[in-house]
Amino acid sequence: MKRSLLLVPLAALALLTACSGPKTTYVEPGSSRLVTTVDQVNIQDFAQAADTMVASLIDNLINPGQLKSGVPGEPALLAVSRIQNNTGQQLDTDLLVKKIRVALLRTGKVWTSTTIAFGGPEDPLAAEEQQLLAKSSAGAQRRPDYTLSGKIIEDRARAGNIRQAAYVFQLSLTKTPEGIAVWEDEKTIVKQGARPAVGF
Amino acid sequence: MKTSRFRDLCVVAACAGLLTGCSSTTVNTVEPAVPTARREMLADQRVQTDPSLAKAVRVVGVNTATDAAGFLKVQVEVQNTTRSRKQFTYRVQWFDPHGMIIDTPTAAATPRSLEGRETAYITTTAPTPQAKDFRILFLEPVTK
Repeated sequence: MKRSLLLVPLAALALLTACSGPKTTYVEPGSSRLVTTVDQVNIQDFAQAADTMVASLIDNLINPGQLKSGVPGEPALLAVSRIQNNTGQQLDTDLLVKKIRVALLRTGKVWTSTTIAFGGPEDPLAAEEQQLLAKSSAGAQRRPDYTLSGKIIEDRARAGNIRQAAYVFQLSLTKTPEGIAVWEDEKTIVKQGARPAVGF
Repeated sequence: MKTSRFRDLCVVAACAGLLTGCSSTTVNTVEPAVPTARREMLADQRVQTDPSLAKAVRVVGVNTATDAAGFLKVQVEVQNTTRSRKQFTYRVQWFDPHGMIIDTPTAAATPRSLEGRETAYITTTAPTPQAKDFRILFLEPVTK
C-alpha cells in the first residue's frame, strides 16, 4: 500500500519533467514554421528577397539573352561590390548575396569572382596566386563583366498598437567598364505585428 | 424574461455582424471583355488536404511558358472565394527531366494574402534550364 502511494508522486514528477522539457525542434529553412518578427530581418526575408531578385535577373537579363560574357563560350563574370546596410540592425549582407550567387552559378550563365570584390578579395590566397601568374606570364587577368551593388533600407511606422516594419532590398547590376546599370530591382517586405498591452 | 433574452441575443448578433462587416473587404475588377493575350493552360493535378484553405485559395488555372534560354515560367491564377481577407503561404518545388527535385538556395515559403473575392497571380521562374516540372504547395500561415 505504502509502496503504491510513493509511486504516484514519482509518476507525476516524471510526467511533469517530460512536459516541461526543452521544446527544441529542427525546422526546414524553407518551411512556413520559421519564427517571424517585426523588429528584424528574418532568415526567410532574405530567402524571399533573393528568390525575387534571381527570378527578376533570369526574366529580364538572362532569358532575353542580354547577359553578355567578355570571353566567348564562358559564363559572364560577376564581382560583388558594396551592399550597404541602411537598417538599424547589424546584418551580414552575405545572407542575401550568397543566395543570389549560388542561384546564379546554378543557372550556368554566371560565374562570380572571389578575387575581385569591394573591400578586398574574398579569397586572398587565390588573389595572390592570380597576381603571381599575371607577373610571371603574359596571361591577362579576366576582368569582371558585371558588378553587383545594392542597399537594404528599413522603414518603420506605428498606428495604435500595430507596428509595421518595411525592409527594402535594392540591387543593381552594372556593366563594366561602361558603368551602366543593365538591371535593377527592388523587393519590399512589409511586416505588421501587434504590440502586447502588457509586456517586458 | 424570454423576450429580454431574445433581445440580448439580437444585440449580440448585430454586433457580430457589424464587426464582420468592418473586417471583410471584397475586390471589384475591370478588364477587357476579349483579352488579347492567350494563355497556354496546363492540365493540372490537385491534392487537397485542407478544404478550408482550398476554398480560400482556389486554383483557377495554371499556365506555363518557356523562353529562349530555356527557363520555365509558371503562372498560377488563384482566387479567394470567401468574403474576408485570407493569408497563405506557398512553396515551389522544381524537378529535372528525371523527376529529381532541384535544391535551390532561395527556396522559401512565400507569404501572400488575398482580399475577399480577389483573384491574383503567382508567377515563378525555374532556377535552372534543367527544371522541367514543378509542384506548388499551399499552406495556412503558421504564426509564432
